[in-house]
Amino acid sequence: MRGTTERAGETALIRSAQQGDAEAFEQLVRAYDQNVLRMALNLLHSQEDARDIYQEAFLRVYRNLPKFRFDCSFSTWLYRIVANLCLDQLRKRKVRSEEPAWIETSDGQVDRFQFLPEQRADVNPERQLASTEVNTRIREVLDRLTPRERLVFEMRHFQGMRLRAIGEALGVTEEAAKNCLFRATQKMRAALGDFV
Amino acid sequence: MTCQQAQTRLSLYLYGELDFAQEEEIEQHLAECALCERALLREKSWHTALNAGNTDVSLDLLAECRQTLKKAVSRSNFKPMPHAFRLRRWAELFGFSGTRWSLGIAAASFLVFAGFAAARWIDRNGLSAGMPGSNLIESSLISPSNVRIRDIQPGGGDRVHIVIDRVREQAIDGRLGDQDVRQLLLSATRDSDPGIRVDSVEMLKDQNGDDVRDALIASVEHDPNAAVRLKAMEALRRYTDDPGTRTALKFALENDDNPGVRSEAIDILAPANRSPVLSPDLAGTLQQIMRSERDEYVRLRCLRVLREMNASLDVY
Repeated sequence: MRGTTERAGETALIRSAQQGDAEAFEQLVRAYDQNVLRMALNLLHSQEDARDIYQEAFLRVYRNLPKFRFDCSFSTWLYRIVANLCLDQLRKRKVRSEEPAWIETSDGQVDRFQFLPEQRADVNPERQLASTEVNTRIREVLDRLTPRERLVFEMRHFQGMRLRAIGEALGVTEEAAKNCLFRATQKMRAALGDFV
Repeated sequence: MTCQQAQTRLSLYLYGELDFAQEEEIEQHLAECALCERALLREKSWHTALNAGNTDVSLDLLAECRQTLKKAVSRSNFKPMPHAFRLRRWAELFGFSGTRWSLGIAAASFLVFAGFAAARWIDRNGLSAGMPGSNLIESSLISPSNVRIRDIQPGGGDRVHIVIDRVREQAIDGRLGDQDVRQLLLSATRDSDPGIRVDSVEMLKDQNGDDVRDALIASVEHDPNAAVRLKAMEALRRYTDDPGTRTALKFALENDDNPGVRSEAIDILAPANRSPVLSPDLAGTLQQIMRSERDEYVRLRCLRVLREMNASLDVY
């Protein structure tokens, strides 16, 4: 949980940005932009789309900042914007068919999962192979979730947001967000089966 | 609680999203049921596997996004509400018409009233009583994001004395060789923002001097961000004959968490376009790496260098 001082600092920054202080706005952006970009990349698997989401989200924040009345936290408001943009994007196109399973490198095409951080203790090649298979399977399962399940899962697992905050960001109750996460994890568990 | 009920709630349990009673119930069940305990371990393992797939945000992409946003914002039509307009709205609120004279009268009346009220209030409460627990009149204007804390001293009881430096943005243009610019860039290699650190290393990479080399070595050894470490390592390529630099590169090769950084360290210590000279300390380091390294590419690079050196693949 963020400290009171930090929140007070953020409030002051928002108020300055509302007055047109460009530096304050930049500081607000820098406080959240890595997470926003990571969330968009995780969900859309496309740098181009993630870049678009980033721009659109922060521009919307900038344009609507004077109307921000502190009815909710700034992060909830920002994530609401990002979540809606990501949901639109996920619904608009079939992400599954577009995302590349391979990454272009100077050494040619490489499976993107080779870039995942390795576990140093795991030196057994068989375990390593199994681990790659698990990662591939996990990604397949994630792609099979509905856009909303995917989003809730991303926000809880990778962004570490509480279900209450997720509910606020998506405009649903905490219970609805919990059900969504529950369905997502059930699907993950069922699909992963003996893999882990 | 049945096993099925327990197992369907395991993820929510791991996320800490069950209420107190449900959490108690599941913990009680797990303590008595080996089957569900195993299921919990499985659940934990896929959570861990999933964490490995979390996308790492590239600093180049982040920097590019920030730059594009900055341009878009500067082109945007949004302008803060001007003071005159705000004053007019306040005046309208109190029933004044929007003419220039009446606005002036409204503003003057308001200022007289505010001054009178403030004087009465200070007279009654004293100057410092306005902010209980603080004698900083301007403390409401202080944001932790634009100050640096220099000192904290207990002031007795619940009081505290904090010395701060206020940070104000100021643009400085200059040549990379200028002493002031150089000092700022060296200081920026320790900034909290990885984007600033990577930019400063990029700017310093062609600069000469022990201070630059030492800052780059410090980045290689201590920077928490792999992209910054890689950039600093690349900049150290010019100093590979320097013993301190070689020690730092070997340290990174042995200890860095990131296989990309470890691999870059080998490339710099034993460049692919130059036949490596057999040096016992480098060979020893590479032999150790061969035993402990699990990244296939790094192992291959070690193997190739050791073969090119005609060194044994085993530890001396």
